[in-house]
Amino acid sequence: MSGKEQTDHPRPGENAAVDTGGLTRRDLMQRAGMLGLATAFGGLGGTVPLYAAGFDMKKFAGTKINILMTGDENDHRALADMMPKFVEETGMELEITSPALGALIEKTLQNLKADKSSFELIEYLGFLTTQQVGGGYYEQLNAYIDDPAKTPPDWDFADLIPAAMKNVGIFDMASGTVGKGKDVYGIPGLHSGSVIYFYRKDLFDAAGLQPAKTWDEFKAAAEKLNTDDVAGCSFIGANDFSLAAVDWYTRFITTGGVLMTGSAKEKNFKPQVNSKEGIGALQMLIDLLPYAPKNVTKYGFAENVDGFSTGKIAQMIFWSTIAGPILNSENSMVAETTATTPVPSGDGKSPRAIQGGWGVGIPKNIDPAKKDAAWLALTWITSKAVNRYSIEKYNIDANRTSAFTDPELVAKFPYLKDALTAIETADTIPTSLIPEFFQLNDVMNVEFNAALIGTQDAKTACEKVQTQWEAILRKAGHLA
Amino acid sequence: MSLATTAATQTKFVFGTRDEPGRAVWLLLGPCLLYLIVFSIYPLFHSLRLSLTDLTAATGTGNFVGLANYRALLVDPLFWNAAMNSAIMVFFSVSIQVVLGVALAMFFNLQLKGGWIVRGILLLPMLMTPIIVGVMWRALLNPDWGLVNWAIKQIGLTPPDWLGSVGMSMVTVILVDCWQWTPFVFIIVFARLQALSQDVFEAAQVDGAGPFVTFRRITLPMLTPAIVFAAVFRAVDAFRSFDLIYGLSYGGPARSTTTLSFFSFQNGFQFQNYGYAAAVAYMMLLILAVGTTVMLRYVQIRPGNSR
Repeated sequence: MSGKEQTDHPRPGENAAVDTGGLTRRDLMQRAGMLGLATAFGGLGGTVPLYAAGFDMKKFAGTKINILMTGDENDHRALADMMPKFVEETGMELEITSPALGALIEKTLQNLKADKSSFELIEYLGFLTTQQVGGGYYEQLNAYIDDPAKTPPDWDFADLIPAAMKNVGIFDMASGTVGKGKDVYGIPGLHSGSVIYFYRKDLFDAAGLQPAKTWDEFKAAAEKLNTDDVAGCSFIGANDFSLAAVDWYTRFITTGGVLMTGSAKEKNFKPQVNSKEGIGALQMLIDLLPYAPKNVTKYGFAENVDGFSTGKIAQMIFWSTIAGPILNSENSMVAETTATTPVPSGDGKSPRAIQGGWGVGIPKNIDPAKKDAAWLALTWITSKAVNRYSIEKYNIDANRTSAFTDPELVAKFPYLKDALTAIETADTIPTSLIPEFFQLNDVMNVEFNAALIGTQDAKTACEKVQTQWEAILRKAGHLA
Repeated sequence: MSLATTAATQTKFVFGTRDEPGRAVWLLLGPCLLYLIVFSIYPLFHSLRLSLTDLTAATGTGNFVGLANYRALLVDPLFWNAAMNSAIMVFFSVSIQVVLGVALAMFFNLQLKGGWIVRGILLLPMLMTPIIVGVMWRALLNPDWGLVNWAIKQIGLTPPDWLGSVGMSMVTVILVDCWQWTPFVFIIVFARLQALSQDVFEAAQVDGAGPFVTFRRITLPMLTPAIVFAAVFRAVDAFRSFDLIYGLSYGGPARSTTTLSFFSFQNGFQFQNYGYAAAVAYMMLLILAVGTTVMLRYVQIRPGNSR
């Protein structure tokens, strides 16, 4: 199936124009949604189907679909909860395999390169879209999306967050560019996400402070709010994936930094880690050490979320999907006193952060007889109802605009508004466009962590990263 | 032909001779050989082949690059950093474990009342999976809410930065490794100690040898084969140590606890540089083969001490 043979389908965010008996898909979605969304989650044990009537959801009853997905986050838990509903509505069986990230990548690559994949659906990290989708391993989905006989009428393609779709779903094979063109190879799922700013409203109010809009204000607030009981701020200081990806990169790009110049294809993909902005972003973190938890150089995801949830941190920027539970009173002691807003930025710069999230695709090498069933299962797991459940139960940043703007959910979790804005304005880190992404990220985390520990200064750390990155890029043929 | 001759002929047919094995030999050895070929020999050759390619997730199919990966290793500072960390870990872990293990064996050899209960408890860490040990100790040493730091603070001391400083993290890894594996050395040495003939000790006593001289001149030489065996076994194990590092320090901070196993894991499973990772693994195999051969030879040249 070639991309050229596909009919144009509505891009996410555009008005749908698929002919479905005089109604656009969006119209259908809205009407069906009146019934479906209002009733879908009266309870998991409810009997009202998640999809509107008129589409045979059970046409593949008895088929077993295997999904390989991340076990590091809560996506698999949400899906497992929904399993009885899936079986009831589709008659299919969904087997979930959810290893940790390293094993997931390994298992994914093994399956994609095998004669036949054992998994009909595979969830891949957005940072690996170029490697996995660009490798040509996934089925193009346009024909499925456009075919009313294959796609349930209320599975609303246009409702998928456009930025997430560009990050994980759309790929131009001819130029090898993610987010370009109209060819769809994956569906955002089971969550998207970027970085937002969490702060303790009660502490800020008591100190007469406004949430920081600039990094200088962030530091000033940290200094003012820092006490023996509450750290003025926190960040990922451990040798952790997000030290570079969240804390450094957000500061870097919001102060005017450009990580890479040139392109891998032209063999002039040159890093700019040792630029003024690069060193400055790391220095900002070093300067925050006196106001951060004493052991912040060992703080990863769990330590920061635990610290904030138990009231020991006054402010931090963090992945919204991981920190969402801070705003849920079932998990947090400060749910009622925490607010969110977009991340701070440098003077005159726009707040934005890294684009995260996952996509789900159908490997080309699965049993051809199962492809339609796999697609139907994919529409089910990326449906509005599953999105809504994921947010409500696990505070996962799902992937549909409707879920982020649902009045009931927003009233319960006000951070959703900021999370959606963050996703929509987020930046795809350029190093994710090459397969060496994780290796480059690791180098950066090790050197930056060493700088935070105090074994080297910011300039030395950035110079070391620059040198190592250039060596890796040269070896891989991305830099002449 | 006599019955005896017939039986001998049949035996020869079934079992064959030393030079020409019979059917039964192949039948009996077959499953074992098959297992070894499938699960040991084939992977060994496969990974050797892999180490001679540039296979990465990006290339998909590796091209033959000869010894390029090995040449790259030799000039890679990260490899040498990992090799040095492995060497430090092996040397200090094994040394401490041998000293403590022998001391414990001597102590329990005094046959104190209730010693068997303590002995049983002492062996428990050895029964735990290293990854669990790593995660458990990481929690115990957590600077914010770990039990160990809490206890140290209770007695008015400042706890060290167990896993957060470059200088301390390897010390912590070695201490945890000793906590888990000293019992292994103890049990080996203790078993040998129990089997020693008491005649020699009685003779030494009659000759007026004191406890220190007896230990240095009699006990220790007689225990040497057991000690060397335990040390070789532990050295091999410590050299390969991956799961403890993974659970406890994840190779950090600043790669201060990245051992060769962890380095190989990172290259293979995080960065998908399969060829390079296989080369690291083969270098480990080479070092281990040479090291153990030398050490085992040392045991063989002193058999007299064990009798």
